[in-house]
Amino acid sequence: MTAPAPVLSARDLRIVYRAPGAAAPVPVVEDVSFDLHPGRMLALVGESGCGKSVTAAALGGLLPRGMELASGRIDAAPGVLRAGRGLAYVFQDPGECLDPVFRVGRQIVEAMPPADRRHSADRLRALLVQVGFHDPDRVARSYPHQLSGGMQQRAMLAMALAGRPRILVADEPTTALDVTVQARLLRLLADLQRSGNLAVLLITHNLGVVAEVADDLLVMYAGRAVESGPVSLLSSPRHPYVEGLLRALPRLAPDAPPLEGIPGQVPALGRRPAGCPFHPRCPLARPGCATAVPHPTRGPAGHTVACHVRAFPSPSESTP
Amino acid sequence: MTAPAADSPVLLRAEDVRVVYRRAGRRTEAVKGVTFDLREGRCLGIVGESGSGKSSLARALLGLEPDAATGRVLFRGRDVLTMDRDARAAFRREAQMVFQDPLGSLNPRMRAGDALAEVLLVHGRARTRREAAEQASEWLSVVGLDADYAPRYPHELSGGQRQRVNLARSLCTGATFLIADEPVSALDVSVQARILNLMKDLQRTRGITWILIGHDLAVMRAMADDLLVMQSGGCVESGPASAVLFAPRHPYTRTLLSSVPDVPSSLSRRFAT
Repeated sequence: MTAPAPVLSARDLRIVYRAPGAAAPVPVVEDVSFDLHPGRMLALVGESGCGKSVTAAALGGLLPRGMELASGRIDAAPGVLRAGRGLAYVFQDPGECLDPVFRVGRQIVEAMPPADRRHSADRLRALLVQVGFHDPDRVARSYPHQLSGGMQQRAMLAMALAGRPRILVADEPTTALDVTVQARLLRLLADLQRSGNLAVLLITHNLGVVAEVADDLLVMYAGRAVESGPVSLLSSPRHPYVEGLLRALPRLAPDAPPLEGIPGQVPALGRRPAGCPFHPRCPLARPGCATAVPHPTRGPAGHTVACHVRAFPSPSESTP
Repeated sequence: MTAPAADSPVLLRAEDVRVVYRRAGRRTEAVKGVTFDLREGRCLGIVGESGSGKSSLARALLGLEPDAATGRVLFRGRDVLTMDRDARAAFRREAQMVFQDPLGSLNPRMRAGDALAEVLLVHGRARTRREAAEQASEWLSVVGLDADYAPRYPHELSGGQRQRVNLARSLCTGATFLIADEPVSALDVSVQARILNLMKDLQRTRGITWILIGHDLAVMRAMADDLLVMQSGGCVESGPASAVLFAPRHPYTRTLLSSVPDVPSSLSRRFAT
């Protein structure tokens, strides 16, 4: 496999939360590592409270109050992490980014680097066309409330692209959208990533979306990476949590098996169990799972899994 | 899995239901004449995107749009839209709404058991506090929560547990007909499946008739016996769920179906060798 140099590399990220007045910090994210490559999309997948959005926020130094990167390294190509230009964010709710009192066009122009502002009208039109608007001039003149949810989301994407980022972080960008609009936005993201050689980090809880557009995925559970690798691993996942997620996903296919949920619930912050975080809900759990944290084991083609029961055999074990 | 009889008696008949909101001289037609039959013990899925009128229709069916709804909504033959007070009170016990966000619809200062007990007392299902508390525990067990959950406040429950309490609260009036508006879209996937399965069990074991309002056709495949597809206030296609899902006639239904992401088919399309 050819592996061009990553534009960003995160290693062993550990993020903690210090509640005001609390004695000890609570771990939020532990031992998470990944690389972002130009022209590729990595999906960070997990249920609410698994730490995926916090991980993404840490890249841009946007951790919420009380949270800090306690250890680990984030290395990036020169300039990428500077001034917010190399790294752009798109969020679930466009209202968080678009200012209701200014016209959309003006807000996009403000996000451009100085070199682009000299011919800002052309650049603005190009950006709006790039995100799929057929009437860029009308959109530029509009106020955010005059656009539908899907149009606002695309306007926000244009604003994110205006800074000519190397990395685009999209945090649940389609969750608030209708399915038909979601499908269009996903295709757009995939196009931008390929044609613009953009590295995309997609944060989502939706495995269907991941299978549709992502190249690689990293599944998180209770702050830890449980399984990662090329997205094709979803056809034969190893981690019982990932298997469970797939069985819980409603499917259209006429031959789809009956839905099966995962018993129990995601543990709250500060109440995460010792050992493997998934063991209280795991159908395969053995006594050792409650005491030792499973560390990622490597398989073929960059596939890694952190599970005592389904670990890949280590090279020393496989060669007698 | 056996679908409930397609020839059971009609529980609810909607005839040319329209919902028109008038505000500040502006007239918005949210529902433009929808007609269907819902038979006892079946689950009707109403699907549509935002602004399709599906939630307005649901409210109209329960008589919650008295000023805006026209047409006829016949529940066991009596028109919900023109019922007198006594008939309406009886209807309200039998027909209940289940909302998407239980945190918004449960009183944050009321323990789960007390929330149910209150409903039981108001609807005259229990005569004393003690009796109400006993029945409340029984209803919690119907939705899969043991007695430990009765003293908990909503914020002490997970999203899935709150939705179970919410379901118990709707059921404990003696309801046999529930309209659930996006009941699982605020929940995590692993929890969604368990709530959907609980709803299916209630349909099978207690004969509950459901209307499930939603946008997710994959959820509808798992739940609905019949389907009605709405677009901008009108019904574009309806019929048995298997026909609508697997032999759709209307282009809009086809667009919706092709927009549903599916893991195995995406993988085989992208990575087929």
